[in-house]
Amino acid sequence: MSASQSAVRSRAEAVQVSRTFDWMILFTLFVTVLGGYHIHYMLTGGDWDFWTDWKDRRLWVTVAPIVSITFPAAVQACLWWRYKLPVGATVSVVALMLGEWINRYMNFWGWTYFPVNFVFPSNLIPGAIVLDVVLMLGNSMTLTAVVGGLAYGLLFYPGNWPVIAPLHVPVEYNGMMMTLADLQGYHYVRTGTPEYIRMVEKGTLRTFGKDVAPVSAFFSGFVSIIIYFLWHFFGRWFAKTDFIADDAS
Amino acid sequence: MKIIKDKVAKLSFVALLITMTAAMFYAPTASAHGEKSQAAFMRMRTIHWFDLNWSKEEVPVNDTMTISGKFLVFAGWPETVDKPEVSFLNIGIPGPVFIRAGSWIGGQLVPRSVSLELGEVYEFKVLLKARRPGDWHVHSMMNVQGGGPIIGPGKWVTITGSMSEFVNPVTTLTGQTIDLETYGLDNVYFWHAVWFAIAIAWLMFWFKRPIFVPRHIAVSTGKADTLISAGDKKVGMLFAVGTMVIVAASMGATNEKYPVTTPLQAGLLRGMKTYQMPEATVSVKVDDATYRVPGRAMQMTLTITNNGDSAVRLGEFNTAGVRFLDPAVHEDETAYPDDLLAEEGLTVSDNSPLAPGETRTVEVTASDAAWEVYRLADLIYDPDSRFAGLLFFWDESGNRQLVTVDAPLIPSFI
Ligand SMILES: [Cu+2]
Repeated sequence: MSASQSAVRSRAEAVQVSRTFDWMILFTLFVTVLGGYHIHYMLTGGDWDFWTDWKDRRLWVTVAPIVSITFPAAVQACLWWRYKLPVGATVSVVALMLGEWINRYMNFWGWTYFPVNFVFPSNLIPGAIVLDVVLMLGNSMTLTAVVGGLAYGLLFYPGNWPVIAPLHVPVEYNGMMMTLADLQGYHYVRTGTPEYIRMVEKGTLRTFGKDVAPVSAFFSGFVSIIIYFLWHFFGRWFAKTDFIADDAS
Repeated sequence: MKIIKDKVAKLSFVALLITMTAAMFYAPTASAHGEKSQAAFMRMRTIHWFDLNWSKEEVPVNDTMTISGKFLVFAGWPETVDKPEVSFLNIGIPGPVFIRAGSWIGGQLVPRSVSLELGEVYEFKVLLKARRPGDWHVHSMMNVQGGGPIIGPGKWVTITGSMSEFVNPVTTLTGQTIDLETYGLDNVYFWHAVWFAIAIAWLMFWFKRPIFVPRHIAVSTGKADTLISAGDKKVGMLFAVGTMVIVAASMGATNEKYPVTTPLQAGLLRGMKTYQMPEATVSVKVDDATYRVPGRAMQMTLTITNNGDSAVRLGEFNTAGVRFLDPAVHEDETAYPDDLLAEEGLTVSDNSPLAPGETRTVEVTASDAAWEVYRLADLIYDPDSRFAGLLFFWDESGNRQLVTVDAPLIPSFI
């Protein structure tokens, strides 16, 4: 550090400035990730996350982890390899879920009046915490991708089941059997989301009969591994400092 | 320090704005007034709604009303629109101001998509339960996969009362009666709060110590290993194991509490019951048709043959939900929406009863401001400028017959 233009006069003040810096950077990171991740997730996971009558045992379980492991992988790459901070996945997921809650509460409920018990977001936190811990303990991208990615896929359905299960209780409605979630979709009219665009319980896993959710979760975990690698590299590339002067050394 | 604090404050404000913008990015609003902007040929040549009836014009919260009627799936369905093989009987309202308590086609409940046949008439009914007070434009509506929403006629309905009084009781197959409006909400909030708390605890474990500058210096000077202590690893293990234990335990407890759950139900309903209109004994040939832009009137020359055994008169021309009536033959008694009803909009050059076996060529004019208001006249700018609609004839004993017309249309600008 050059003596001529130092911004601080004492060590105590330097520590204080550094701390202020921490919160500024964290806040900016949080908000940037919130915006980018939220839009990404809405465009890719979209309806599967918006409505309970899309949260099935096949496609939601498969799609949500695959499209949501993206930003956690990238932010991990930056925070771990540059700062040895094992919080990238958790920061991302907390930001995303906060953004989703604001959106669901303010827009879906506050503006359009869909009941919150029909439009709450999916829970991604258990997978994110495990992803962060695996990276911290293993200090390896490959290990995090394989073990963490698989765990991320596998933890998704059980992590959401306590919230979803009550809505999968069956009802008889005018001579037809459906779940309460189906009934929510039928009752709370969505003019722009006709029933046929609902992609649920479709796929080639019929042969597995009743136990389709674990199979979907495993499949999702395997694809999550690949997506993790991909986005981890994006994150590394994005966190490069080649284009600015390296003034930390 | 003050400058930095100011900057943080300023930055926070900007960030807050970005957050808001990002959050506002998506709202599933559904304007019920897309009807006029939909291409005229879509409304004229796909689904023809008729005999519509809105059972009430004012409904208190928690009370129900019905929209019922019939629709004809037009035989001359446009090539550019996918056939209604996968269709969903919807309702055009701005969000869930009503809940759809039931919907039926030909007496069959249709919570799922259905397959419709061209040229057939179906009877439908939608039962609505009032939820949110206000004046709402309530449309019949059919969504067609690959064709988009086909919006039928709309009528203003007023909901009175207060939304806080709305209840939606449902009895499950396991015997409990719940209020679907708020069911399971506490459970949603509880689990999300638990997981947010765990996540924030993990984050604060790291953020309570200096973060970026010193850690970056340590990493770039090769001292990265010193940044994660054995204690940190233990705490990490605790979080990971704790997470898995909570997930497994809460899943087990949930399965115990809800032993009976079923997968979401989906699938296409086929073979919907059609409605048999009385056999038409009148045949109509369209000799020519013009739309006179200045007069907002459509003129057609029809050659009508009566093959039946009772004299008939033309009483109504219905296209895209707009009804042109000859009051001498038929008057509306269903309180059909004013803007879609031209009570004296139909003039026939000679509308004396057409005797059995007789053939007559007549000039028929359908004129009303609705041509412009509902932008039906826009069909003269369509690539395939055709019009289509329903003609209703009445015989001496008041029986009605339906004949469809589908012919080219020539605009006239003078
Ligand atoms: Cu409208």
